[in-house]
Amino acid sequence: MKGYSIFDDVIVINRELTELDIFVKDFLEVLKNYSDYLIVSGFVSICSGRTRATEDVDILVPQMNKEKFENLFEDLVKNNFWCYQGDEAEGLFSYVENLNNIRFARLGEMFPNMEVVFFNESKKAKFCEFSNPQKIRIGNFEFKIPPIEFEILYKEIVLAGKKDFEDARHLRAFFSDIIKEENFKKYEGVIRGELRC
Amino acid sequence: MLKQIPQTDLDYVEFYASKMKEDNNLFEQQKNLIESQMKSSRAVFRNLFSDGDFKLNARSYLRKIGLIK
Repeated sequence: MKGYSIFDDVIVINRELTELDIFVKDFLEVLKNYSDYLIVSGFVSICSGRTRATEDVDILVPQMNKEKFENLFEDLVKNNFWCYQGDEAEGLFSYVENLNNIRFARLGEMFPNMEVVFFNESKKAKFCEFSNPQKIRIGNFEFKIPPIEFEILYKEIVLAGKKDFEDARHLRAFFSDIIKEENFKKYEGVIRGELRC
Repeated sequence: MLKQIPQTDLDYVEFYASKMKEDNNLFEQQKNLIESQMKSSRAVFRNLFSDGDFKLNARSYLRKIGLIK
């Protein structure tokens, strides 16, 4: 069987869930009750077959108000996640206000962690990918990622480390049948704009 | 165009991804590697921080490696 199929614009990866997928799925089941999201960066490559280690899973989350953040935080704690930065939601809200990242792992574990990246409309590239989500499914786990072309360019132009070029090359080869050249042109401007900020 | 004999790391990444696109059996190896890494990491940190408060010890470690302030 092929590595993936497309059904109703959803990319379906033809494989079993891994423990890493289940970690992400459990986190999203809590988060989705409070906010929209987009899974970005390394996990996009790994979920589509890139065979490498990872310690964190990056997730874009729109900036939220204090009440919503406190409720989300308490629910994550109730569901056996702990936050690297602290145990009290009230003291951590400044991270949300200042668009700083916070990380959550399973209780009693250090890695992997979910690195929550807060953003608002002032972050043009993040806002662009968030506004153009691609659905992807593995077994019964469906979630949202950026357009594949956006993810490739972001890794090649902005992140640009060895690991990132390898991830991008993996995505280019694995998704070669569905990548659209016009989408590279569409997203390149906004991504290069991020470098100028 | 994929080279016949991969030479660089990037060539191997492309070669493997192209094979995986056509044959989902290769995901089994990937699952084994990912889960092996997770098991090892879990064991290392449980052993490292088994004495006392896990979060307290973990945060102390995270400060040392610069992941938190």
